[in-house]
Amino acid sequence: MDRRARRRALPRTDPLSNVAVDVLLAVGVAAELACVAGVVLMRTTYDRLHYAAAGTTVPAFLILAAALVREHLSSGGLDAIAAIAVLFLLNPILVTATARAARGLDEVDEP
Amino acid sequence: MATLGVSAGVNAFEIAATALLLGLVPLGAIAMRRRPLDGLVALELAGSLLVLVLLCLAEGFRRSVYYDVPVVAAAMSWIGGLVVARFLGRIR
Repeated sequence: MDRRARRRALPRTDPLSNVAVDVLLAVGVAAELACVAGVVLMRTTYDRLHYAAAGTTVPAFLILAAALVREHLSSGGLDAIAAIAVLFLLNPILVTATARAARGLDEVDEP
Repeated sequence: MATLGVSAGVNAFEIAATALLLGLVPLGAIAMRRRPLDGLVALELAGSLLVLVLLCLAEGFRRSVYYDVPVVAAAMSWIGGLVVARFLGRIR
């Protein structure tokens, strides 16, 4: 009489990895928002640049670590590594170019 | 799935993406109100913030194809920032 399909349990993730993901994400987001606060509150362009550059280092790696806890080294995980690598490796060039532009404008402003 | 104590299908990565998105608001205010060079700095941080948001959303939606988007966004925001920095550097 009872011909209902058997219910299967969903695959469960490790509760320890859940805690690790939560902690990594919370710290990463807090650090990134601290960098935003630094850019907003600092007075000079160079100080702002310091915080903008910091946003591509520790917070980015923490969020990458959280994603890798889930994805491991699947194609998605490798793409995540590539995205953060682009941010981390190329951003110093951008920071240097911005600082050079700031120095050039400061020299123009000075009499 | 990590839930941070929230149910109804919202996971920790989606919450993180939403929190990071809120950081774009003060950066937009900086870009509008301060001088162009400070706006460029805000734009650079907004680009990296956007990459992290897209990364969190890709994991939050559990779609592996979405992971290509932050890679492209990282490269494009870097190129855009570099072009603007070079442009501002030539102003005398």
